[in-house]
Amino acid sequence: MNDAQLLLAHAVKLGLLAVLAGVLLRGRLRLCWVFPLYALAILAGNSLVTLWPARFYNASFWVLKQGVYDALKMALALELAWRALGKFPGAWRTARVVLLALLGFSTAALFLLTPRSSYRTLWEWQPSVATVAVWLLTATALLVVWYQVPIHDFQRAIMLGLAPYLLVFVTVLDLLRRHGWKLRAEVGLADSLAYMGVVLFWTWAAWRRSPA
Amino acid sequence: MTPELILASVGCAALCYTLGRHNRALTLLRWHFVLNAPERQAIESLRQRMELDSALARQALDAAERAREANRVPDALTVLRVALSILEDAGADRLTRLRAMGVYSRMVRAIQPLPPPGAGSFRGPGLRAAASLAGFAHRFLVGTQERFRLWLLFLGLGVRIVLRGGRRFAVEASRQPRLGRPWDLFARGLSDFEALDASHLSAFEALAASLAAVDRGGRLRLWDRIAGDAR
Repeated sequence: MNDAQLLLAHAVKLGLLAVLAGVLLRGRLRLCWVFPLYALAILAGNSLVTLWPARFYNASFWVLKQGVYDALKMALALELAWRALGKFPGAWRTARVVLLALLGFSTAALFLLTPRSSYRTLWEWQPSVATVAVWLLTATALLVVWYQVPIHDFQRAIMLGLAPYLLVFVTVLDLLRRHGWKLRAEVGLADSLAYMGVVLFWTWAAWRRSPA
Repeated sequence: MTPELILASVGCAALCYTLGRHNRALTLLRWHFVLNAPERQAIESLRQRMELDSALARQALDAAERAREANRVPDALTVLRVALSILEDAGADRLTRLRAMGVYSRMVRAIQPLPPPGAGSFRGPGLRAAASLAGFAHRFLVGTQERFRLWLLFLGLGVRIVLRGGRRFAVEASRQPRLGRPWDLFARGLSDFEALDASHLSAFEALAASLAAVDRGGRLRLWDRIAGDAR
């Protein structure tokens, strides 16, 4: 990890603390329970790697933390769908079918088409997982607009921040796949910069006062 | 480009486009209307508006025909253009309401069924063909909501067909004012517009009845849950 990456990692930590404080103090916790858990998981992963690099800055820990992040991203997308559409029986019936189909199809595709997950082949399985998360969020967004369901600005901000970041993540993994590990530092920096942008956006959204 | 990158880009673009345009305040207003609209009053005011539009357009067309018969061609054409502008304003109003009805129809659980569209009430060949096609498509749809949206689609198409015809016949009449055909076709379009209005009102009544089917207590509870998120 170079100095720039370390600096960005510390900035992301501060940003995440600001997001969590905003979520707690502005009463946004009830809008999405998984989001603070996701932010805490990122904060913990970030802290372990930057504060104890000798122990945690390695491939096996990266795969472990990425697995936790992926599971939380899926849970986050499903919770947002439930919170937005769960009150509307007709819309929720359609949402269940769409989300289950998406999850079923993607699980089958991941199971059958991608190799066993490892750090050396992360570009072969991580993009698929990130793409599924993007499409879970997109399906929710499309159903929200189709059924004209009012969602809270903070829930909207979570989705509007996470999906573009996941696209950046898929793009940097594609760069890594094409150019190999020699670009690791640059790709890592681009990913951290994009994440910093998302964290700043979430901080603004978490602290922003709701319009009356 | 990998398939994942393409899929993620498409998904992300769709999400940003749809959520970027999502207006929470407007959505809440729509729900407020759906759950609190005074149904009878809304239907009555729409009926009066339609009767007024129809009476104004018909009066203008009658006046234009009288002027034409009295050989006052410039006056006749001016009044015909007035009739066309009344139809255009009314058409814009109908199209806006049809769009809104499309939105509201997604907010209710079921819609009171409507009969299949039929060509019988229309005189223009384009409109008759569209009505027959919609009647045919109606048989393949099972849900009342889908059938209702097909009705809305047909009504929107019908309004556009009548307005396009009206503009064309008004131009033809100004080119050859002594020829009776464009005047007859314009009058036929006006009667088709009135038939479309009758169907528009029926669709509005079906939607209003479906909205009213949610009992008052249920509406208030649903509104509390929707508006509760705003706080």
